[in-house]
Amino acid sequence: MNYLIDILLIAVSAALINNFVLYYFVGICPFIGVSRQIDMAVGMGLAVTFVMCIAAFLSWTVTTFILIPGALLSKLVAGFFVSPEAASKVDLTILSYIVYIFAIAASVQFVEMYVRRFFPALYKSFGVFLPLITTNCAILFACLTIMSHVAGVDNPADAWDLGRALTLAFFGGIGFTIAIVIMAGIREELDFCDIPQCMKGPAITLVVAGLLSMAFMGFTGVDSGLKKALKSRSVKNAALEMKIENYDVTSVPGTARAHMKNMIASKEHPCLS
Amino acid sequence: MSVVTIFLAGATMFVLAIVFSFILEWANTAFHVEVDPRIDAVFDALPGANCGGCGYIGCREYAEAVVAGEMVDKCVVGGASCAEALAQIMGVSVNQSYPSRPIVHCGAHLEDRLGRSAYTGERRCAAANLVADVQGCTYGCLGFGDCEEACNYDAIHVIDGLATVDYEKCVGCGACARACPRNIITITPFKADRVLAVTCSNKDKGKDVKKVCKVGCIGCGACARTSSLFKLENNLSTIDYDEYSPECSADVLKACEKCPRHRLVFVGKPTADDLAKTSDIEAPDVVEPDFKTTVDDTEWRG
Repeated sequence: MNYLIDILLIAVSAALINNFVLYYFVGICPFIGVSRQIDMAVGMGLAVTFVMCIAAFLSWTVTTFILIPGALLSKLVAGFFVSPEAASKVDLTILSYIVYIFAIAASVQFVEMYVRRFFPALYKSFGVFLPLITTNCAILFACLTIMSHVAGVDNPADAWDLGRALTLAFFGGIGFTIAIVIMAGIREELDFCDIPQCMKGPAITLVVAGLLSMAFMGFTGVDSGLKKALKSRSVKNAALEMKIENYDVTSVPGTARAHMKNMIASKEHPCLS
Repeated sequence: MSVVTIFLAGATMFVLAIVFSFILEWANTAFHVEVDPRIDAVFDALPGANCGGCGYIGCREYAEAVVAGEMVDKCVVGGASCAEALAQIMGVSVNQSYPSRPIVHCGAHLEDRLGRSAYTGERRCAAANLVADVQGCTYGCLGFGDCEEACNYDAIHVIDGLATVDYEKCVGCGACARACPRNIITITPFKADRVLAVTCSNKDKGKDVKKVCKVGCIGCGACARTSSLFKLENNLSTIDYDEYSPECSADVLKACEKCPRHRLVFVGKPTADDLAKTSDIEAPDVVEPDFKTTVDDTEWRG
């Protein structure tokens, strides 16, 4: 139950509250560059989401099994050369940046081939922006966030598992898509607006991006409220289960017992509230 | 940092490189797309300037269009040699192609223009063109240099209020012609280094032209009567460049002499004679800008 709450919180946080584009201001290049038409923006958003998931999977795997001190593979290999204690202290997190860029570049190449083969029209409309996903800092940011939750924790039990990492990547990508599609919608409407000459083009685009960012500030605090609500509910549920376990149903005779069983099953018994 | 860490770091990168390259190798064959090899060949033969002079977004798009059946001589930067290379790849014969170069159809320098009034607005042709009475002639060059700004090759300059093309540097991409709000720059096939041009765009009657310009074409038709190369359209002499031949016949030269306003002139690269004539004139190689404000310090209020 706690795990699901965690996942939910990560998802909401990545998609809306700490939106990569509008909160952290990463991935601005495609956000401005490919937000002219809604369909292209959707395509770009989905491509970024896809690449982000692949890159997150790769970087989580590499970080967990190779990079962090005491990781499985590095400990195993280092064990051949040095004592087991020294082997478990080998810290390869210095490699994180280069490995992530490496993983991102490879996954972008992969996606490019895939899109070119199966969605030629999308490939054509992306143009130069598809290879540019390689340098999209939103993806590197996702990888580094995952790393900070895997390698930067004091207690190894707190380290993120693959599910959390993928949730962050997927919903971070969804958040990027939401932001870029909203932006594209606004910019399509802007074409028909009477904009003062001095504000035309990049100026009004950046103003709109700023306003959008401020609008997304409205989500601030949603996560803590959500967390409180979910946690209290889960505490209540835990108490409920405990009470049901301790309640001796057999001590109540006859039909009353059956009635009580039903009530307990539907969690409506007065003693449980 | 111990030796083991360094070794492991190297080994990690090595193993990752191998794994990724295997995956990409597999993807490359699994997702292979058949592309006409001629597209790549044509693309390699093009200069890669991505200037858009051919009418396509970039060289890649033009290469695709060429393979799809577009003419091979559209690349203005590559010129004849490029067209030949493309024709060889595509297996077609190339027509005799000429480099396209801009001609400014105005010959009036500042002192030739009449009816000018003070203009204190934005120093751009596009802005000045919206305002009436900046100068008497509503057809001619405004001289604020939108074309100069548009040129990526430093090949057009406003000299004495008139846009002047430097044909030595010009590649014919047509950016100046697109930038000109009065559309007085035309991209013309240059059949020789120097071609004849009508340097006026004024379509008004002769009397009106004389009011606004000292040198503009008055539409007298003397040229058209002397040579069939010239036609009078809308009170303006025009040259049909399809008919034009580099070796000008006697009647064409005679027409040039007859023109009372001397608007029929040769434009293009300077000939050897011209260079010889100016060779003894001392000119600095590089003109350094002089950043001195003309505003009096005492009057300057920010």
